[in-house]
Amino acid sequence: MENKKHKILMIDEDKFLRKVYRDKFSREGFEFLEATTGVEGLNKIFFEKPDLVILDLILPGKTGFDVLIEAKMKKETKDIPIIILSNLSQESDVKRGLELGAIDYLIKSEVSLSEVVKRVKESILKLNK
Amino acid sequence: MGKVKRPKISEVVSIIAHQLKNPISIFKNYLEVLISEELGPLNQKQKEYLSDILENVKNLDKTANHLLDAYLIEEKKYKLKKEKFSLGKIVKEVIEDFSAWALAANCQIFFKEEKNLPNVVSDPFKIRQVVENLISNSIKYKNPGPQKIEISLKRKGKFVLFSCKDEGIGIPKSDFKKVFKKFYRSEKAMELDPTGSGLGLFINKAIVKLSKGRIWFKKNKGPGMTFYFTLPISNGK
Repeated sequence: MENKKHKILMIDEDKFLRKVYRDKFSREGFEFLEATTGVEGLNKIFFEKPDLVILDLILPGKTGFDVLIEAKMKKETKDIPIIILSNLSQESDVKRGLELGAIDYLIKSEVSLSEVVKRVKESILKLNK
Repeated sequence: MGKVKRPKISEVVSIIAHQLKNPISIFKNYLEVLISEELGPLNQKQKEYLSDILENVKNLDKTANHLLDAYLIEEKKYKLKKEKFSLGKIVKEVIEDFSAWALAANCQIFFKEEKNLPNVVSDPFKIRQVVENLISNSIKYKNPGPQKIEISLKRKGKFVLFSCKDEGIGIPKSDFKKVFKKFYRSEKAMELDPTGSGLGLFINKAIVKLSKGRIWFKKNKGPGMTFYFTLPISNGK
């Protein structure tokens, strides 16, 4: 990867999950931003313009689906890639997430931390080509 | 004797199982970082203990998944994401993943695959779960001493036939009708692995049935059992 520090935003209510991701992504050379609610997440998407968003679906207030819809509706944020990382594993949720514009849908219990980092790196590389 | 009524998995149980998934993912992530020694070297005993915790967390995860799957099957809401794929590739991957465990358990796995087998249609993720369950049962429920596990794949008309033959403890004839029922566990199986959920074969049957295939078993002439399942061949190869 090039030298520029890529900015990742994780929107997830769980502080323990954010912590392990924060530490891992920092070790991997990323700038790591966090949000705990959908509203906070949308504000950070809009003002911080991260290179990629990791989004949970079950959030207090606005759900992850709401965040996805709103981010994709705005001209300034519609091209920011969003990866869903959720415990919802129903086919209907996966389908909905991808149809709404997420570039990937990962299920928390099925994917390792290193795998998420790998997918994020691959997505950023692909977008920078 | 009256028919034994098997308990229904209530919505409450499914909600609890779902809520367990978040802390389980967190345990797994933290353990992954520690075991990888990204945060600093571990001594042999620390590594061993952390790996033991990880193994138990994975078992807990499997139980939670089994409860959720069984609940959805009961509610007729269980769905497969069908696509065409190579069953042989999945079987090879599972054997590779289980190779260290099989070796430690004194099991030798043999795999025979008919040449040029066509792709099958089902949900590759769920079918991997079926293959893992059947092979892991053969490793877990073995007799003392070395054991052979023979896995084969061949074409059978419009289907691909999977078989897994072992030399293990087997299933008593009196239990044959219960094997694919919810929460079935033979007495010997409970002795060898007290942590099993008794839902694996019940879920396997639902997955294979939803794939329009068939799953069954036979008692071997010698010790052990052979489990079979079929999956339809993809029209587009």
